[in-house]
Amino acid sequence: MKAFFILALIAYVAAAAAAPTERVFVTNERGNTVSVISGSTLKVEATIAVGKQPRGIGLAPDGSALYVALGRENAIAVIDPKTLKVLRKIPSGDDPEAFGVHPNGNIYISNEDAAKASVIDPASAKVIAEIPVGLEPEGVAISPDGKQVIVTSESTNMLHIIAVPEHKVVANILVGARPRAAVFARDGKTAYATSEIAGEVKRVDMVAHKVLNKVPLGDDKIKPKDVLLSRDERTLYVAGGRADQIIVLDAQTLQVKTRIPVGQRVWGLALTRDGRRLYGTNGVSNSVSVIDTASDKVIQTIAVGEAPWGVVIDD
Amino acid sequence: MQRAIPRASLAMLLLAALMRASAAAPIEVRLHYAGAREDAAFLGVTQGLEEANLQGGFLGQRYVLDGERDARARPAAILAAIEEEALVALAGQHPDIPVFNLSSDSDALRDKCLTNLLHVIPSREMKRDALAQWSKLHPGSKALAQAWHPEFKKYSAEQLSKRFFKARGQVMDDGAWAGWAAVKLLSDSVARLGAADPEKLLDYIRTRLAFDGQKGIDMSFRPNGQLRQPLFLVEGGKIAGEAPVKGVVDIEDLDSLGSSACPQPDSQ
Repeated sequence: MKAFFILALIAYVAAAAAAPTERVFVTNERGNTVSVISGSTLKVEATIAVGKQPRGIGLAPDGSALYVALGRENAIAVIDPKTLKVLRKIPSGDDPEAFGVHPNGNIYISNEDAAKASVIDPASAKVIAEIPVGLEPEGVAISPDGKQVIVTSESTNMLHIIAVPEHKVVANILVGARPRAAVFARDGKTAYATSEIAGEVKRVDMVAHKVLNKVPLGDDKIKPKDVLLSRDERTLYVAGGRADQIIVLDAQTLQVKTRIPVGQRVWGLALTRDGRRLYGTNGVSNSVSVIDTASDKVIQTIAVGEAPWGVVIDD
Repeated sequence: MQRAIPRASLAMLLLAALMRASAAAPIEVRLHYAGAREDAAFLGVTQGLEEANLQGGFLGQRYVLDGERDARARPAAILAAIEEEALVALAGQHPDIPVFNLSSDSDALRDKCLTNLLHVIPSREMKRDALAQWSKLHPGSKALAQAWHPEFKKYSAEQLSKRFFKARGQVMDDGAWAGWAAVKLLSDSVARLGAADPEKLLDYIRTRLAFDGQKGIDMSFRPNGQLRQPLFLVEGGKIAGEAPVKGVVDIEDLDSLGSSACPQPDSQ
């Protein structure tokens, strides 16, 4: 009985330490802040002055740290998601924009002006590898098993496939103009990527490193940015940029199922762990749209800072 | 010298690794430049070549500018910043090779509708149309229409102007942009074709090109060889607006700037 009590106590303490805050964090590129939204009340509960030009945002695998890329400071801010304090800033290389957090905790970041991707160990704050890629590298996606990393290069129009831990480019897939973002399926065998100027989304075979199928998303106004898979992986969500809509597609056929009107220039997307709510950042409207994924309807629009860019959920 | 050897061999190893990563056979793409090397267009060409080689490194494609000695051999394309008459003669001498006009804005030159002459720089008529659209909203404006402006920030334009200034020591102007854009659209076409035969390139560029040139919209060539493109309205050295002008025409309607058809289809 006593042993059971101690075990229960240990389990409770462990759970409390890792308990997610249920907060939604949004970078405001021109506001130089991070807006902190309560996932339950959908209200902004705090605004963190983080530094110059915050764009890419991500969480440590155990949820213990929030990372924010600061473009004009050549740094990544490390924030405590509970206390909301900026703990430190670590050097990131030139002009950091988007990044991904590897299951092992390392940060893979694109350095737009330097035509390379850097691998940063946040614990030691050291750059442990630099990988030359195409011009204007942008989106970063990491396979769930951590063995492959996709870096998109906007001007060279490629998906560069980097093998981990070798940190070598093993394939370059030529895609439509200005590839911006990518996401892996859970099994790591398929990925999806958007091309902003080509206005298309494609499904990519990550074993053969070939484009399987692609679709144009509509007229010239659609400049797709972020892309996400639903939790059941049957549905794909694409932020439509200045088309002011989130496009919902069948993840297999890439047929458009519906279009959800949101604010102006929607870029960043994040989905709750249960898959029920989708958040989108509206860069020109200075707001975040909250979507109920069962009905594909906007249930709330939340005013945030100036030029919201990225969004991540601590749940 | 001793230190240069290991560095060079490292570069070779890197190149070899990149070549292995590519499925395509190595291709050398030779380009010829006609014009003054002091010209801004040439700086743009140089910048374009450097970037083409960065892309080519991943695909096994190498871009070289031919010198005076081997100028007689057949290049994949010709980049020209020369006056109208010489340009017409040059295009006539090489009817199967794409010739890019980087400097002349002559409307008469577009009206000749030479199949291999591609105008990257906007025509006088396009600039007039841009100003006419602008003056509907801003009567009496003294704006100028330009192909490029170094302070344009959207669509990664800022990144291009920044790296051009850093590498070449001067701001990117219309001529420099045209030089860069010609090489960029060429290298994009070579990358997608996996080939650099001038005839195939000319056909691809004329019929299938979709190139944004850091101006945020797919651009293509008109039947008369003119590149459709947005223009900047510049007042007192600052960007006052963009054309097609919002509120006057559809901003996607690039054909609202200049003529889109060939006035003399028989002359081809």
